[in-house]
Amino acid sequence: MRWYPLAREETKALLRSKGVWLLALVLLLWTYRPSYVVWNELGPDMTVGFLQYAGGIVVPIAAVILGYRSIVGERASGSLKLLLGLPLTRGEILLGKLVGRLAGIAIPAFLALGIVTVAGVVQYGLFSPLRYLAVFAVTALYFLALVSIVISVSAIVRRTTTAAATLFIGFILILEIFWQMFVPGLYSRLTGVPVNPYDPPAEGGLFLMDRLSPTGAYNAATNGILDAGNSAWHHSSAISVLRPGHSSNALAVGEAFDPGTAPLYLHEAGGIVILVAWIVTSLSIAYLRFDGGDLA
Amino acid sequence: MSPPNGADDGELERTRNDGKQGHASDEPVIETENLTKRYGSDAAVEDLSLTVESGEIYGFLGPNGAGKSTTIDLLMDFVRPTEGSIRVLGMDPRADVVDVHQRVGILPDGFSVYENRTARDHLRLVIDTKGADDHPEELLERVGLADAIDDDAGGYSRGMGQRLALAMALVGDPDLLILDEPFSGLDPHGVRTVREIAHAENDRGATVFFSSHVLGQVELVCDRMGILHEGELVAEGTLEELRAEAPVTTELELVVDGDVERARRAASGVSGVVDASVSMDGDASSAEVSSAEAEASPAGADPVSAGTEVESASSSRTATATVADTVVVRLESAESHDDVIAAVEETGVAVTRTNVDEPSVESIFVAQTEAASGGGLR
Repeated sequence: MRWYPLAREETKALLRSKGVWLLALVLLLWTYRPSYVVWNELGPDMTVGFLQYAGGIVVPIAAVILGYRSIVGERASGSLKLLLGLPLTRGEILLGKLVGRLAGIAIPAFLALGIVTVAGVVQYGLFSPLRYLAVFAVTALYFLALVSIVISVSAIVRRTTTAAATLFIGFILILEIFWQMFVPGLYSRLTGVPVNPYDPPAEGGLFLMDRLSPTGAYNAATNGILDAGNSAWHHSSAISVLRPGHSSNALAVGEAFDPGTAPLYLHEAGGIVILVAWIVTSLSIAYLRFDGGDLA
Repeated sequence: MSPPNGADDGELERTRNDGKQGHASDEPVIETENLTKRYGSDAAVEDLSLTVESGEIYGFLGPNGAGKSTTIDLLMDFVRPTEGSIRVLGMDPRADVVDVHQRVGILPDGFSVYENRTARDHLRLVIDTKGADDHPEELLERVGLADAIDDDAGGYSRGMGQRLALAMALVGDPDLLILDEPFSGLDPHGVRTVREIAHAENDRGATVFFSSHVLGQVELVCDRMGILHEGELVAEGTLEELRAEAPVTTELELVVDGDVERARRAASGVSGVVDASVSMDGDASSAEVSSAEAEASPAGADPVSAGTEVESASSSRTATATVADTVVVRLESAESHDDVIAAVEETGVAVTRTNVDEPSVESIFVAQTEAASGGGLR
């Protein structure tokens, strides 16, 4: 825990910035989305579903904006030298940065989600507390995955602009915004199997690819907890697409596979495995690069 | 029973390290062997073997880009060596980074403070990470920044940032204080503060290692110095030692009562004398009558330096020679000072007054760095 003061100062500084409170405000307005379709399926647990809207676009973008400079920017400005002189290993510096950023982003985010939760309870009644806690926990893991990716890129690259380009284009644009639209075409290219997203084939790989992005994995895991359908899309899309006679480009395992025939790796809990894989992979690469090279 | 025992040991350790005496008997505080750092094909530091003894104040000098900061970055494990070995406080800066940094205070070069944090935040980070019991107020008092303790460091001037980083370096009474260009960005008060702190920390028992290209301060601060040029150590020692070995002459003026020319001839025969000339009334620069090149040089005169006197000599010949009573002797080092006086007095000429003009750190520095780049013959 030698790294704790580093994480603490990092969080304190972040909580003094306007950015994280702007994030809280946006989350407040963005996640409170009652809908008839969801209410019919989930009842009061609709409020638990509000948490899931934190995934997708708002928190990933906030994590990138608030974190892409965290290491590479300090290298450029020279403030990293103040940290490197501390009695910490480089791994501890990375860990302190990660925990500090995570807390700085998660505290305002959970505050906003807490307010949304209270509003949901007041409007729509008490939800299943167990489901809520489970979704909350997976949301925390998801935040950790996002911050891990951002911090890792910031620790690996040598220029601030490279970090910004990698994260905004590679992560936000490709992996978050367009991923689920790319997947059907990409899967066809790779395997030769034609994919009509409105009537998906029973291809395990297609659905797996759909949930490989951090947000896809998060949605899959939380949809499983909500019992909203096995899908990497938002629970509202998953519920819609699984209703009889309804068609959309959202992919849900139930569309293509008969109950009990889907491969095991498409289990909802697999989403947690994918999130953990993102965390472990990004941090391992970052650690190896950060620990091994010259930093001044 | 183990916690009190542990505490006792710590206490013993501390008292042993407290006195400069006990410390000085330790192994070297900094020891590098054949240390080389290359970036691509450029060597920032080349084959550097540096030893800094416990308890000394060591000045690490060199022009900009000589490799001073790279050396310090290597000592602190900010960058890794291409070749060679480093020991800091007897430990490996990479493998024992926590233990090394626990006992080292560093004022880095080219750092910047955190914009949306106060001086107090900066210090708390270091104090808590080191587990020290310093108070931010007291540390800032020492560096003269107490007034700005709760101000946003983003608004600090360069000098204030420098003072803050110095305060951060002092946290936890380090055994080794590394100051990289500590005088940069400071006003004269700040410069004096740094000097006083270096001495105070040294008196406490700390070894101080600082780099600088501002030479005026160096003499006032350090016990020993090394001159780094293009990544290599070109000279090292106390100021006296550097003066003795530098390719820079010491000027000795002898005001004599008697035959000036005889005194000059006697002086130029002494070994270690570059040349000797007669000048008027101690004013060597304006009215120098150099005979070293006018007649056959006596043994001992340096033929290379003889040529340099031609210009001043020819111009002074037109000056009316009043009473020439001063011999200006240029020495390779101040050590032959006594020999010269003895030789002159042996000829029966009385020396009434002497004046030694020893070379400044700056002239040694310039001479050493020029010699190292092959400029001695340029």
